[in-house]
Amino acid sequence: MHRIIRLIHRDLGYLAFGLVVIYSISGIAVNHTFEWNPNYVIEKEDKALQSDIDSLGSDSLIAAGVLVDLGIAAIPESIFRQSPTKIRIFFENQTINADISKKTANIETVNSRKVFRETNYLHLNVPKGIWTYVADALAISLLLLAITGLFMIKGKNSITGRGKWLTAAGILLPLIYLIIYY
Amino acid sequence: MRKFQFLALILGVTILINAGDGKQFGEKLSLNSKTSVSEILAHPEKYDGKTVQVEGTVVNVCSSRGCWIELTSDKPYQTIKVKVNDGEIVFPMEAKGKKAKVEGVVYAVETEKKVEEVACSSGDKKEGSCTDKVTDASHEKENEAGCCSSSKTAKVYQIKGKGAIVFI
Repeated sequence: MHRIIRLIHRDLGYLAFGLVVIYSISGIAVNHTFEWNPNYVIEKEDKALQSDIDSLGSDSLIAAGVLVDLGIAAIPESIFRQSPTKIRIFFENQTINADISKKTANIETVNSRKVFRETNYLHLNVPKGIWTYVADALAISLLLLAITGLFMIKGKNSITGRGKWLTAAGILLPLIYLIIYY
Repeated sequence: MRKFQFLALILGVTILINAGDGKQFGEKLSLNSKTSVSEILAHPEKYDGKTVQVEGTVVNVCSSRGCWIELTSDKPYQTIKVKVNDGEIVFPMEAKGKKAKVEGVVYAVETEKKVEEVACSSGDKKEGSCTDKVTDASHEKENEAGCCSSSKTAKVYQIKGKGAIVFI
């Protein structure tokens, strides 16, 4: 019986390794969303516009005026006129919000947070479909790993020995939190 | 080697074709006709609760969980918000500045809007540009300039998105 338990634990452990690493990295990342954005690095820079840009001009003309003023040579992907004096200019991973009456511009640059974005994508089941079943299979595997882990060892370190205290502590911790805070 | 080259060519062509078709989010679009955003904003009660398909440029995306986008209207200065349930659809920030087609249900959200510089119902003349009359004295608050302000609830119409195609 112990042989079978160790076999299941070993092989499931190998299989689950990759996904457990992915889910653990993402788990830590999304656990701290109040401190950072786990998917993107967003940088914002405020700049002053030096020249006077006529608000009566077309969207393209105003955008061109803003870009020339800021010394940006790239061609934008699209432009949105928010109001007679506010314009939004879009590039691949950058947005410029300009107010030509206040002569201010805010440049927002967005980059993917490498590794975290990919792991979050899987952990939070963004793809849906078949991935839902892969994630369910991982959950079942982790459950089996936990159960087989309890009965793998014989002797003083087994579940009948010091193992029972560690297992009890692991169950008590979430229970205490639920009792106090839930 | 020839088989691999042929496969790579097929894969490349498939990617190019799909890139032109846009990236699908949520449910597949099913309506055959589009409704202009300006028409929805001009007559929102007519579309409240109805499924519509709209098109526009994505000018804003929720940076936390990609749970909403803002689409431009066919008329200047107008936008409409498309909200989705957290996790059901996750719009990437790369969608900003790209064209999108969205299908969803129009619905109203009540928001509290502060109306500034209104004349107090007490009738006392105040300095500054107090113009509007206050109808509900219980919502009055006096601001620093000595004018009263009140809050009004306003309905803002949005779309509960069911599916979208973003041309990333």
